[in-house]
Amino acid sequence: MQHSQRLGTRPKLDVERVELPNGLVLLLSENHSVPSVSIKAIVGAGSRFEADDKAGLASLVGELLDAGTATRTSKQIAETIDATGGQLATFGDYQSSGVVMVLLSEDAGLGLEMASDLLINPAFPEDKVQQYIDRRVAQIKARLDVPRTLASDLFNEIVFEGTPLHRPPLGYDQSVKTITPQDVHGFYRRYYTPDNTKLAIVGDIDKDEIKGRVLSTFGKWKSASPFEAPQVPLARRQSVPIEKSVSVPKEQVNIVIGHVGIERRNPDYYALLVMDTILGSSPGFTSRIPRILRDEQGLAYSTFSNITSSAGLDPGRFIAYIGTAPENLDRAIAGLRGEITRIVEAGVTEEELEIAKSYLTGSFVFRFQRNSQVAEFLIEAEVYDLGFDYLDRFPELIRAVTVESVDRVSRKYIDPQNLTTVVVGPVDQQGKRTEKEGVS
Amino acid sequence: MTTSTTSIGAETGGAQTESFITRNVRKTILPNGLTLLTKELHDKPVVATMIWYRVGSRNEELGQTGKSHFLEHMLFKGTDRYKKGEIDLITHLNGGANNAFTWLDFTAYYFTFASDRWQAALEIEASRMRGTLFAEEEFNPEKQVVEEELRIGLDGPWEALENEVWAAAFRQHSYHWPTVGWLEDLKAASGADMKAYYDKWYHPRNATLVIAGDFVADDALRKVEEMFGRIPAGPEPARLGLVEPPQRGEKRLIVKKETPVERLLIGYHAPAVAHADSYALKVAEALLSTGKSSRLYQRLVEQDQSVTRADASYHDHIDPALFYFQHELKPGFNLADVERATYEEIDRLKRADISLGEIEKVKRQVEASLVLSSEEPLQQAMLLGQYETIAIDERVPEDSRGYHYLDTLLDRIAAVTTKDVARVAEKYFTEDNRTVGYLINDKEESGSAA
Repeated sequence: MQHSQRLGTRPKLDVERVELPNGLVLLLSENHSVPSVSIKAIVGAGSRFEADDKAGLASLVGELLDAGTATRTSKQIAETIDATGGQLATFGDYQSSGVVMVLLSEDAGLGLEMASDLLINPAFPEDKVQQYIDRRVAQIKARLDVPRTLASDLFNEIVFEGTPLHRPPLGYDQSVKTITPQDVHGFYRRYYTPDNTKLAIVGDIDKDEIKGRVLSTFGKWKSASPFEAPQVPLARRQSVPIEKSVSVPKEQVNIVIGHVGIERRNPDYYALLVMDTILGSSPGFTSRIPRILRDEQGLAYSTFSNITSSAGLDPGRFIAYIGTAPENLDRAIAGLRGEITRIVEAGVTEEELEIAKSYLTGSFVFRFQRNSQVAEFLIEAEVYDLGFDYLDRFPELIRAVTVESVDRVSRKYIDPQNLTTVVVGPVDQQGKRTEKEGVS
Repeated sequence: MTTSTTSIGAETGGAQTESFITRNVRKTILPNGLTLLTKELHDKPVVATMIWYRVGSRNEELGQTGKSHFLEHMLFKGTDRYKKGEIDLITHLNGGANNAFTWLDFTAYYFTFASDRWQAALEIEASRMRGTLFAEEEFNPEKQVVEEELRIGLDGPWEALENEVWAAAFRQHSYHWPTVGWLEDLKAASGADMKAYYDKWYHPRNATLVIAGDFVADDALRKVEEMFGRIPAGPEPARLGLVEPPQRGEKRLIVKKETPVERLLIGYHAPAVAHADSYALKVAEALLSTGKSSRLYQRLVEQDQSVTRADASYHDHIDPALFYFQHELKPGFNLADVERATYEEIDRLKRADISLGEIEKVKRQVEASLVLSSEEPLQQAMLLGQYETIAIDERVPEDSRGYHYLDTLLDRIAAVTTKDVARVAEKYFTEDNRTVGYLINDKEESGSAA
């Protein structure tokens, strides 16, 4: 088979970065192909800054941003956005929070005014805080309905013990119930500041006109004192194997295997991206785990592994996942562990390396198709200091990866002897298959 | 600010002859019956290639359900030209993406590639249209994969409820079963069954090829003729012509599952794609559940605070299907109360209790969502291919047939009045026409798995 070494067609981005006097970073890029605009106003705060007994607070604050401002009720906010036909969401996750919008470009001005109002003047009305807490408690219960989520949550509890990543950003039933309006206001005041915020606006805009509008809206945001991020405890990789099984009456067993992963700023990120593509993260079934466990053995519809996709400001996780019928439990676990061990001990081939590199460089263009993807990239580039020339540098970073560097990072960041294994499904506490009742 | 390129805006009142999605679309029918739609879009260096077959679970028979979907899996398992795994490998090497999906009325496959190498997609589609192999050693492992996919659905509470409600609502029509089929039928399927099904439906005359993105249409046409032109047209596909008779009375059912969250699903029989009433029903759908200012969100999430999620959905299908409501209850609230509140909101529609501002809002939502969800060539190819596949029979008015459905859609939505919404609500949202499903927890008390 011929390996294409052509560069493909590179996306071109014309980016302008402006720092406002109040410290807010503005990122602009024009694209006039569709009359729409993406606005992302992202605050560098999330559940990594909250206390265990208030787990869920950061995401609740993020969700409550559209529950009313000094001059608008939640209903007025919804009616105003819906009348444009656009979409608005507010959120808080692990390391970021904020407001995201997709609008027709003629509504960009209205969108900016609205986004700034939600971020600068949220009212957090007491009745809304209580209403959102009640709804959150119900949503947390609904999570238990999805065995894959349950397995993933349990895995995090074990692997990230002692760090904020151990808890689900949505929080726990008990912790959410203790959250007060004072907690909400306190978190907002501490972390929502202009110098901790990045605003990306991408699409059918005129940069000069938009800059004026940003100054007259977000420019009014003042912070009392310069933002300082608190220290966050970092996860350490385990030094013993850990196994945990939970019994739930479902058709499938869900298995998550892995341990602590890496930070996004880790210089080995690119070699690990290639390793991910070879081991378990290619689309289709070219990488080892999906090819062998799904395509050849028919064990699963969904199976993969990954270390880079969860890499953030804090170390993420290395995981391998499979969902399979209970009778395949032992084969599935052995299969995943076997592939993890094999890549660490036997490495990768030159051919696998070239295929993975060809894929990564060739598919890069697809990450810049929608305005919202470009806005997402601009924020990431800013958060991780990637530089806006990253579009040109990425192919070079990938091409520099060798068989030796993949082997080195596999050995360094993957430890097949000390993995956490979580099994959720029709199994007993020892992880053995329970017999099904009734007729089949 | 640039506004001149927007093609939406009902307030201008001008009749439209084409939407921005159909602008510059070229349609060619090859002598063997293959339909080709091309649309050049040069702003991004990518090309999306899709092929749509007009076959889905709608075309299956009892005891053989799930075959359309299973076949979709088999089309990645190798042809007389591509070994197993090679389709993915070529995609991968070229930095592209591929996938496929099956639903009630269709099966579709797609590739996205950078624009300097997109023609690899054509070669693969041409090969697997007639050259797919059904080797036993590939068939059996893949059957297990599809079984696992089906099990994910069996573990999902919504799927469990949907399956029962559709099965109850459709007793004659093949919308009776889910696209993935029944597990027992799947277990019984053989490679020979699959090959026969493939030979029946996978031919140029039952397919539409859509290419959207950064390419030159004339070159593409020549290449398509070269790759597909020599494939025989194939047999005229036999159509079942199933008709679901009118429902004569409410149907109610209960599904029990261990779940901490109870769920409600109400389905009303509703007309097929491009039916004259379908546009007012689309407006009703948006009025009820698009955005946080929508009726059901304001009533159930904000006012009653009885649910975490309230949805109304109405999708376009070849045959009449369901307009349905799906609500996820908060613990401590009662399914019967949420059901009653939903009927109260429906009754408000029947009374034409709708302000002019509200109806203008939802029309704009429908229009804007079309623009906002069409940034990628693939998204545009999806819309073009879908309507060229489902809106093609004689029941569809000529000016809306095939992808031209998208030309007339916004005008027809713009023409909907509050009276139209009230009329279709009165006509379709009746007690006799509905099937109501409750998903309840079959484990007393507890609720927590911890």
